[in-house]
Amino acid sequence: MGTLLARAGSALLAVACAGAVAAQEPSDRHQWRIEIDAGYVGADSPLGSWPSGGLGKLRYDETDEHLNAMRVFAQYKGRITPTLSMTVVADYVEDGSAGLDLTEAFLDWRPIPKSPMQQQVRIGAFYPPLSLENGEAGWQSPFTYSYSAINTWIGEEIRPIGAEWSMRRRLGAVGSPQQLRAFASGFFGNDPAGTLLFWRGWSLHDRQSRLNDKLSIPPMPVYTAGVQTGTRPHTLEPFEEIDHEPGVYAGLEWRYARRALVQLAYYDNRADPSAFADGQWGWDTAFTQLAAQFELPGEIGLVAQWMSGDTYWILGTRPNGTRSSTARLVEDRFESKFLLLTRLVRGAHRLSLRYDDFEIVRDEAAPALQADVGHAWTVAYRYSHSARLTGGVEWVEIESRRDLWPLFYSAPHEATESQLRLLVSFNYGAPKTR
Amino acid sequence: MCTSRIIATRLLRRLGWLAVSVCGPAAAGTVNVGIVDGEGHALERVVVYLLPTAPAPPTSVAPKPAAMDQRANAFVPHILVVQKGTEVVFPNHDTVSHHVYSFSPARTFELGLYKGNPHAPVLFEQSGLVVLGCNIHDGMLGYILVVDSPYFGMTDERGAVTIEALPEGEYAVNVWTPRARPNQLPATVLVDVLAASAAEVKLEVRGKLMRDHDHPSPVSWERY
Repeated sequence: MGTLLARAGSALLAVACAGAVAAQEPSDRHQWRIEIDAGYVGADSPLGSWPSGGLGKLRYDETDEHLNAMRVFAQYKGRITPTLSMTVVADYVEDGSAGLDLTEAFLDWRPIPKSPMQQQVRIGAFYPPLSLENGEAGWQSPFTYSYSAINTWIGEEIRPIGAEWSMRRRLGAVGSPQQLRAFASGFFGNDPAGTLLFWRGWSLHDRQSRLNDKLSIPPMPVYTAGVQTGTRPHTLEPFEEIDHEPGVYAGLEWRYARRALVQLAYYDNRADPSAFADGQWGWDTAFTQLAAQFELPGEIGLVAQWMSGDTYWILGTRPNGTRSSTARLVEDRFESKFLLLTRLVRGAHRLSLRYDDFEIVRDEAAPALQADVGHAWTVAYRYSHSARLTGGVEWVEIESRRDLWPLFYSAPHEATESQLRLLVSFNYGAPKTR
Repeated sequence: MCTSRIIATRLLRRLGWLAVSVCGPAAAGTVNVGIVDGEGHALERVVVYLLPTAPAPPTSVAPKPAAMDQRANAFVPHILVVQKGTEVVFPNHDTVSHHVYSFSPARTFELGLYKGNPHAPVLFEQSGLVVLGCNIHDGMLGYILVVDSPYFGMTDERGAVTIEALPEGEYAVNVWTPRARPNQLPATVLVDVLAASAAEVKLEVRGKLMRDHDHPSPVSWERY
């Protein structure tokens, strides 16, 4: 925690210094983008929204049916030398642990290529290059407001704090349309990744966890009892380093001009499932992802990701590291996939439709518990009035089933949640690239 | 008026079809080239260059300088054809800096981070394809095709280009576009140019071409 704060603080200090230099030197060495997203919410959920401590999968519920400031963020990109730059993204949100905090802060080194191989190194806290949705400033999606289940989870619990090396090179002759990209990273933090999946299940929203966020975990009775006896954390701090062992991810991406892209990646936080520190438990979480995007005839874009993995936790580890006599290894197998179709109409209008499918199966009982199984439809229309002002409307409907609901609550096995959002976004500053 | 003749080519078999007619009158030799894709649609922005098959007499006149501009984070023109020995300037008209480089064997160079036009022109002394990139903006891609001939052009929206002021002689007609793989391009054909006459060459790029790089895409391809 302290190290994270120190990192965030030093990054902010660097930004402040850079800003001071910027004041004397008018150039593009310092690029700012500030964006304000606000809008109206209509929601229908029997479970309540998860940021307010509910069991539901959506960010908003009936108590939010008014004008909401959904996100205010500032992205700073500064060039230190011609090949070294830094990026800092600060977010303000009003739900969950509200306030201002950083989502990313990293150095980006791109030496000038001397051969067809272009290399890049990132050091700091950053998103892994796994999402095919979140390609814009502030890790936003140009397609829908609520991200897919997969990318929502990446935004919630995955934020490597370490170093990433990557390289791109064209395959074949000069001017060849084929390009290969490889990336690999070693990182700290992320040891609790998997906690939210285990307790709450998948969700679809656009609230990205900030580096020092404290997220609420749904009030499972067993868990609530644990809080009362001091053996359970009452909030999740997703990016803590607990076992001081690094995690890894790596991937390969093949691209054919602006027609097709396929990515295969593996992530493993290599956390010790029995580790505990500062009120946070380690969860050994690993997954494989296959992702692709294509440009179809009729100028329709297709984006798809499939993720499959598992997470282990030793239920019954006490805060002092000892285990209770009933301690046992719990495994959740999780899988999700989505298919998104999008089309730009006359440059200013965008229509997107996405289908999400997800499941979590818990192997602690026989037969295995359906810990969280369901699917979701999302449809969004977005309009770009000008470079500064955009807006849109989105409808999300999620149907899901959890075997645990009737066990822990007097709730039915199945629930349908829906959410309508009208959103206006104003931005100022640099272009909308990451 | 017009006397037509069909010239046999070395690679007629691979080419599919070729018709060359020599017409007149005109002050110098001219070659009109038309290019279509496999479905017969005219192809725009395809490079056509003619190489004399007999060695040309040495000339002391240096080719005119050329420019590869940067506007709205793109190389303009997307494809620049220059004669071997041409000097090219790279003015940046954007409000943001660019860092232009090439690691192509035909010409390796780097123009450090700049705005405006602070760098000396780059001399292209070797024929071949030079692929341009910007180290700041991954999506920027440009081409300079260096050819050993002053006789070149690019097809218009009708898929046509006229190359004029050709001395009498035999020329190899070459075609290039970054939208086609090398095996899609028509094989080099030979054309006889006579003074005061115009030769017609029709060529086909086989199969389907890739979409233009600068075409707006519904999904983003540069995320890092």
